[in-house]
Amino acid sequence: MEEELRVGCYICHCGLNIAGVIDVEKVAEATGKLPNVVIARHYVYMCSEPGQELIKKDIKDYNLNRVVVASCSPQMHESTFRSVVEEAGLNRYLFEMANLREQCSWAHANNPVKATEKAKDILRMAVAKVRLLQPLEKREVQVKPATLIVGGGITGIQAALELANRGFSTYLVEKLPYLGGRVAQLNRVILTNERASEILKPMLNALTGNPNIEVFTNTEIEEIGGYIGNFEIKLKIGPRFVNQKCNLCGKCLEVCPVEVPDEFNFGLNNRKAIYIPHSDSVPRIPTIDGANCTRCGECIKVCEQNAISLDSEPQNKNISVGTIILATGYDPYLPQGEYGFGEYEDVITQFQLERMLSNNGPTNGRLVKPSNGKVPRNVVFILCVGSRNPHRQYCSRVCCSVALKNAMLIKKEYPETQVSILYRDIRSFGKGQEELYGEARLAGINFFRYSPDNPPKVSRLDNSQIQVEVYESILGMNIEIPADLLILAEAMTPRKDSAELGSKVGVTRTPDGFFREAHPKLKPLDTNSEGIYLAGAAQFPKDITECIVQTCGAAARASIPMSKGKVDVEPIVASVNEDLCIECGTCQSICPYGAIKKGENGKAQVTEILCKGCGSCAASCPARAITIFHFTDEQILAQSLAALGRGEP
Amino acid sequence: MSYEPRIVGFLCNWCAYSAADLAGMSRISYPPTIRIVRLMCSGRIDPVIIVDTLANGADGVLIAGCLPGDCHYVEGNLNAEVRIKILKNLIAKTGLEPERLRLEWIPASGGTLFAEVVKDFTNQLTSLGPSPLAGENPDKNILELLAVVRDTVADVRLRELVGKKRQITEKGNVYGEVISKEEFEKRLTDYIDDEFDRHKILRMVKERSLSVRELSERLNLSPQRVLRHIAAMRRKNLVAVERIEGVSPLYTALEV
Repeated sequence: MEEELRVGCYICHCGLNIAGVIDVEKVAEATGKLPNVVIARHYVYMCSEPGQELIKKDIKDYNLNRVVVASCSPQMHESTFRSVVEEAGLNRYLFEMANLREQCSWAHANNPVKATEKAKDILRMAVAKVRLLQPLEKREVQVKPATLIVGGGITGIQAALELANRGFSTYLVEKLPYLGGRVAQLNRVILTNERASEILKPMLNALTGNPNIEVFTNTEIEEIGGYIGNFEIKLKIGPRFVNQKCNLCGKCLEVCPVEVPDEFNFGLNNRKAIYIPHSDSVPRIPTIDGANCTRCGECIKVCEQNAISLDSEPQNKNISVGTIILATGYDPYLPQGEYGFGEYEDVITQFQLERMLSNNGPTNGRLVKPSNGKVPRNVVFILCVGSRNPHRQYCSRVCCSVALKNAMLIKKEYPETQVSILYRDIRSFGKGQEELYGEARLAGINFFRYSPDNPPKVSRLDNSQIQVEVYESILGMNIEIPADLLILAEAMTPRKDSAELGSKVGVTRTPDGFFREAHPKLKPLDTNSEGIYLAGAAQFPKDITECIVQTCGAAARASIPMSKGKVDVEPIVASVNEDLCIECGTCQSICPYGAIKKGENGKAQVTEILCKGCGSCAASCPARAITIFHFTDEQILAQSLAALGRGEP
Repeated sequence: MSYEPRIVGFLCNWCAYSAADLAGMSRISYPPTIRIVRLMCSGRIDPVIIVDTLANGADGVLIAGCLPGDCHYVEGNLNAEVRIKILKNLIAKTGLEPERLRLEWIPASGGTLFAEVVKDFTNQLTSLGPSPLAGENPDKNILELLAVVRDTVADVRLRELVGKKRQITEKGNVYGEVISKEEFEKRLTDYIDDEFDRHKILRMVKERSLSVRELSERLNLSPQRVLRHIAAMRRKNLVAVERIEGVSPLYTALEV
């Protein structure tokens, strides 16, 4: 015989937050008359210790098997009360929360009568649902003590060190042939003015010396399957064409006839098809760019070590890990066609300037006009290029401070050169960064404020001099500035392949294209896919300090399930009635997580740990064969009918 | 007593439901006309449940999900959008105002927006007047047609087509052809119109057997069109000839 339903309902006053508007006495009275409701009480604070004890005592005294608490939003206290009923011996899913505060008393404070009527309806809806709830069991899965870190920039490297030092096996995967990411391309960093390469070196040394870390460069993620605890990853390791026998003699680099723009230097110079990405490159052996190599074989002829083989193929390697950290970084915005970029040689981006000023850059650190190789006498920066506009509404966070740093480096090295910064707002916030602005002003750098409605105009005069015309909004006048070198502080944008990677791992992106965190305030390091964490500029523009902070946090988050060795799986998931399933595969095509697939018998099967319980499959199942536990069609309909005073109750 | 509409709102936990919470936290008041059912995603809502809600006298139904591109579950909201659009077209055939069903995107930060949507929907429903299906004497005709809509949105073939719409128009069908959205919409609309008529016919011949001419008169459709439907339904073993009266065969529904 089916167990008799015995529902207890608890209406919270929340001090006066609810009871000041809603007549809780009346609501309790009406609720007490609903079918299966054994007891309906109201109490001043249900979430307080005595409030919780009241529920526990009633569960025992009245033999309750379903509980409704009508108080604040379930987003506030649902888990509190689930634990309360669980402590009293009930299954934690035999509980329903009715939202009387946020969605009733607070919203209808001006109409207590109607608010009380609405409260009765809300209770009736909750009782309708709780009567249909079924106990659900949490399950556990084992978590492998291993991590995949996607992205070998400073963020990924730090994450790898953090986790490897805790004793976890760590796989660091970088799609380019070298480590270091964007930081490797920088000249000096803000605040300390250290060379970026000097920051990276000790980290890279620690990395290569750590037995828990395995590094894969030139490697892409081909497939990711599985779930928290047991991700199965297929790596595609691109061929380097040059093996460890190489003694770095450099003859191959001389004879290679193919020249292509050097992406490491953002096209400021050319490189060969066989090349060492940069002088501090780790690993430091040449690689061949298979897409541009003509397979002429000149390099093989001169290689005394027989280190080159042009017919290498990509290799696959499978790894399995418990957690994943996405540290894929960002792409700098390419301001093609803006402010003469792409049209005039002497208009460059701030990243190109970083390369130019770097010792290992195309000019060995000399500031020059690309058009004639001379030192520029007038340097102009334009800030907010590609940021804070209708296409990219966000502020790219670092460009102001980086421009201030670069302006001062130029001023110090070339005191004769006039440096001007055209800005909308100077947003050099963060420790020590506002001070940087003050120093730049004292150093004699000129600041001109422009408005986005009237941006600077760039033209080339007859004598081939570039001129910037700006309406200075503080002075209220047009100013013409000669620019021997014009530097555009470009935006940070999401990686071009972030959509592809996101869909592989089941991590969503915000409308601006960066990876989305599980909650902007409370879970900024987690994603909606359990076991996958975010670090660095893959989530949003950040400076190096912030990337390091976040990556230490993400590593700490990832180590929780790995240290425990197991995780609980939420039981609010889809379930298939195989008798009804018509094997059409609609659910499979609709599930964004690959959590429901046709099994060997053709019927749909749910991988519960991958399922997030969204219910898109259930709502589209042609045979209506899919149920979502805790949000079944019957439960939803019962709530809806109760709202209309139809159905039972 | 003046009429106050009754709205049932199916809200996504992550955005619209949070927005409703935020409206309360910010003490933004809105009419007490909405009763909220919390779902994890707007994509969870089965059109059959919406039809049942309307049939039971809701003056309005609000489905509210995350902004496109902002869905907590990647694209559940887009699945909801496809279904709601089809359902609205079907509801329009019943005589019930399709405006009674409303889909909105409300981000979690949209407390004010949520309140405005409820206000606006309440005003709209107030000027539409009570649902003809509310109260003691619901409009039988509309109720019957709504039952046909229910049959149509519960139809296996249709649900499969709708469910795979985004796959077919974005990734390609089983033959690898990608059908353009416009082409698909057109074919789908035709198919839905046919399905709606066929479910209507099925309900009629379940009551008593009818000839093509009788059906054509009752449905206000050309006899050729009815005959086409009958032929299709015979192929699917949904109807059969029961007997021949004079020269006209009478059709009856087969038990499935």
